[in-house]
Amino acid sequence: MSVTNEELMAYADGELSAADAARVEAAVAADPALAERIAAERRLRDSLQGHLNPVTEEPVPDSLNAMIAAAAEEDARADRGKVVSLAEARAERARKEAGTAEPRRPFLQRWGSGLAIAASLVVGVALGTQIASNGPIEQRNGKLVASGTLARGLDAKLAATQGETGSLRILTSFESKAGSYCRVFDSRATAGIACKDKSGWVLERTMASSAQQASQYRQAGSAMSELMAAAQDMAKGAPLDAAQERAAKAKDWMR
Amino acid sequence: MSMNRFCEELTALLPRLRRFARGLTRDAADADDLCQQTVERALKARHQWQEGTRLDAWVYRIMRNQWIDEARARTRRSQTFVHEDEGANVGTSGAADAENLVELGNVGRALSRLPDEQREAVVLVLVEGFAYKEAAEIIGVPQGTLTSRLGRGREALMRELGELA
Repeated sequence: MSVTNEELMAYADGELSAADAARVEAAVAADPALAERIAAERRLRDSLQGHLNPVTEEPVPDSLNAMIAAAAEEDARADRGKVVSLAEARAERARKEAGTAEPRRPFLQRWGSGLAIAASLVVGVALGTQIASNGPIEQRNGKLVASGTLARGLDAKLAATQGETGSLRILTSFESKAGSYCRVFDSRATAGIACKDKSGWVLERTMASSAQQASQYRQAGSAMSELMAAAQDMAKGAPLDAAQERAAKAKDWMR
Repeated sequence: MSMNRFCEELTALLPRLRRFARGLTRDAADADDLCQQTVERALKARHQWQEGTRLDAWVYRIMRNQWIDEARARTRRSQTFVHEDEGANVGTSGAADAENLVELGNVGRALSRLPDEQREAVVLVLVEGFAYKEAAEIIGVPQGTLTSRLGRGREALMRELGELA
């Protein structure tokens, strides 16, 4: 029974079928020269990896990350243009996940009655059921502050690089005229504008998220644009770009 | 929607791409340039990527083709160069190469001496961990061609590194 060099190589690379591999193993067990050859194959692999793997530990040049972030931002802008269909998709997902329509939150009904109302829903009015000790929003010193997954998401997510997965989406980040970092967000339960201060992410504005607008896509889309308009009014200048956003995150969003 | 996934996955891939670039070019500065060009090309073509297929193999293929283009252009340039200006500068670049070779260490030197087509096969399978079929697709050759290049390449490396008598 002979084993070719090609077979030994394929065996070492894990490319043989179970039957062929068993045949090679039997031959290797019977022949120390073959065993040495297999060991040499392994040593070669180890040396090559030892030579090149350290490259993966080096910091990746910023220029590469910046290029990708810029492309992601471009896509995100394109997506915002399609916010209506996005809202539709989210609503569909929310319906599927919930299984049934949620009867609570009667304030949602009001969305059907007007567009401008979107941005003007004041904190506390819209939040109703969500203020709970273990909910995404807490009351601290008379302010409504993000907690739990919402707070963690606001801390961690970057608008430029986030995926479509996860329930929280950051629409944009900016520096407010009042001198704090703020972020426009849309989560499964709530959409709004949160600004960071010592107590955490203070919710400046909130509204039911686009995901909650199950049957009212048009309103959901315009609600998000109202929110963006409100953000523009609050902002000192242009939204943060990807690099500025990363820098702000690195400072824990404190100025 | 898939675009953001694309960008996330591409970002996650960068350390591995840099390793592959180093394996192909054997030079840190060339590898950085190659990575830059590859990411540019990949981003430009991102709408052509089919979700559900492997992004890594797709981008590796872009990098590999980019490097082939670059290597060909260099060969043309250096031929022109030698032809038009036979003399001192050629020797200088040779000395720089020799210096590079010293810094590379045994393994890097042995890898550098392989023909390009054997080196890419060796790096894709033994370092980047692609299956024969995937590596052959990245290079754009039949699997039999890949395995014969791989076999010759690793044989030469083992000899050079004293693994074979």
